Amino acid sequence: MTVAVPPAGGGGLPGRSSGSGLADVIDTILDKGLVIDAYVRVSLVGIEILTIDVRVVIASVDTYLRFAEAVNRLDLASQQPGLPGLLSSAPQSIARGKTKGMVQGVLEAAGDKLQDLRESYAEEPAPRTRRRRREED
Amino acid sequence: MTGSTRQSGASDGAEAPPRNTACYVYGILPEDVEISEDAIGVGDPPRRVTIIRHGEIAALVSDVDVDRPLGRAQDLVAHEQLLDEAAAEVPVLPLRFGAVMTTPEAVVEELLAPHHDSFAAALKQIEGRTQFVLKARYAEQPVLVEVLTENAEARQLRDRIRQLPEEVTRNERIRLGELITQIIAAKREADTRAVAERFEPFTAGAVVRDPSHERDAAHVAFLVENDRQAGFERAVGELRSEWGDRVEVRLLGPMAPYDFVTT
Repeated sequence: MTVAVPPAGGGGLPGRSSGSGLADVIDTILDKGLVIDAYVRVSLVGIEILTIDVRVVIASVDTYLRFAEAVNRLDLASQQPGLPGLLSSAPQSIARGKTKGMVQGVLEAAGDKLQDLRESYAEEPAPRTRRRRREED
Repeated sequence: MTGSTRQSGASDGAEAPPRNTACYVYGILPEDVEISEDAIGVGDPPRRVTIIRHGEIAALVSDVDVDRPLGRAQDLVAHEQLLDEAAAEVPVLPLRFGAVMTTPEAVVEELLAPHHDSFAAALKQIEGRTQFVLKARYAEQPVLVEVLTENAEARQLRDRIRQLPEEVTRNERIRLGELITQIIAAKREADTRAVAERFEPFTAGAVVRDPSHERDAAHVAFLVENDRQAGFERAVGELRSEWGDRVEVRLLGPMAPYDFVTT
């Protein structure tokens, strides 16, 4: 069997055929997949890993105010549900906006620790930078 | 920086790699796999992606510098793209982003050898199947119109907010937003259940993911057998046209079965 893997696009994000962006990638590879630490506890290397905290805080005052503002802008009289042409490009811009918070942490296992880090940021609407380092030699 | 170019199968190399280099592990595959030379992995610059074999299984790896951080957008995309391209051809057990071991020898001795049988069995299980992720999101205006039409309290709050200056309606606006969030959550629950049931005949498994956006209608990972993929994709198309402008439906995949490998 041969796996033919074409080179990834240089520079920015390659346009993936399925139309997924960085936000989709992050949803998939940062908290899914096998966690090596559960198998291997000896020789993992502590490399500094920059990850992007994209946990969405759905039940937040910010979200509430945004919805209220959107409703306030709605002109019900001139609209029918599902009116075409009104669909904004919002999903795209929001997906991008989510990637602004950087969490820096050492990944000892790509897994639970990272998950904890991300969860610890979940309550904070404004993500910020934090750094954690751990030597493992 | 000396890149130690390991060839496939050189798991018992006599010389140790330089100390500042470690072994990034992407995933586990069957041993009878070849990787093309131009495959691009993580790191800056990315090193050559190679295969370390042991028995019936193999690890997809590349060297990384230990003194440089990983996790740029390119690294994340490279990790997933490599695994997804592989998953389109062969069974793959994807590792979560960021698994780095000291040496290729450690990959064999501590990862492949001790878990050979369970990895081999898991690879047989996912043979002929790949993952798809359905992401459906309510379009903003239609769903808000729906909410206002269906809920009297939301309409009253909205009218009040419109009549009064913004400074005095903060509580009303928060209450309105909370109400909308709750109503959308109820719609999401119903639509997610409907989606999971609808695709059951075409799929070997489904995992409901956490919503990734406040207007998510459904976020579900499916394990799809290759010979039922056409039917599955057709069903997604039908759902998309059924929902029309109300919901934006995106289908990601085929990808490695991230949501179906568990530790």
